Amino acid sequence: MERKLSEMKYEEKGVIKRIDPSLRQQIAGMGIREGKEIKMMTKQPIKGPVVVTVDRSNTSIGLGLADKIVVEVEK
Amino acid sequence: MGQANVGKSVFFNRLAGAMVAESNYPGTTVDYAKGRMLLEGGYVELIDVPGTFSLQPKDRAEEVAVKMLEEEKEALVICVIDASKVERGLYLALEIIERGYPVTVALNMWDVAKGGNIKIDAKKLEQILGVPVVTTVAIRGEGFKELVSRMGEAKPVEIEKIIENVKGSKAGTHR
Repeated sequence: MERKLSEMKYEEKGVIKRIDPSLRQQIAGMGIREGKEIKMMTKQPIKGPVVVTVDRSNTSIGLGLADKIVVEVEK
Repeated sequence: MGQANVGKSVFFNRLAGAMVAESNYPGTTVDYAKGRMLLEGGYVELIDVPGTFSLQPKDRAEEVAVKMLEEEKEALVICVIDASKVERGLYLALEIIERGYPVTVALNMWDVAKGGNIKIDAKKLEQILGVPVVTTVAIRGEGFKELVSRMGEAKPVEIEKIIENVKGSKAGTHR
């Protein structure tokens, strides 16, 4: 099932399916690209950033960016 | 240069013998520091820059890092990579190589990567990139002799050549 990264639930895992081309370059340096496995670690309240794990390292992503990333979520 | 919290300032202090603030928190270096180090019998200027994810700056500290790189056209770059987060580190290293700088890659926190059961073939990486790749544990000074002795081998590499090498190694023809 596809879901926006910003809508993933705590501890949910998936594979990154699509990244909005406008931010592809911006987040590639964080190791986030299509085809990568991703796990939701923490969601911060009041529209705060999400913290995800990619390649065993944690990265926080602003909710605005997370809105533009689509993940194929594991069931 | 390197991404945030990979140990750049520890490198700087080791190499220049200076006392730049090191901490276990990202974002300690938001400005740059200059020092001197002995390289092949002469003193050269060494610059410690803030961490940056890429060469497309996203905040003030990253801007400083990118600006420093652009101003120092003749610079020999040590790209420090956290060996346990090698992919994203290589992204930055490749960007710097692409801009034509001679780069030496330091796979730092080698002990942490090993402890996390992450295996990296540094020799192979060196063949693919065509630049010196050394493994280091900066806080203990491991790998620094090799780093300093091999920095002189760094030379600009065409990014196309690296792409070719990657293809070659995937096809299994690369030795």
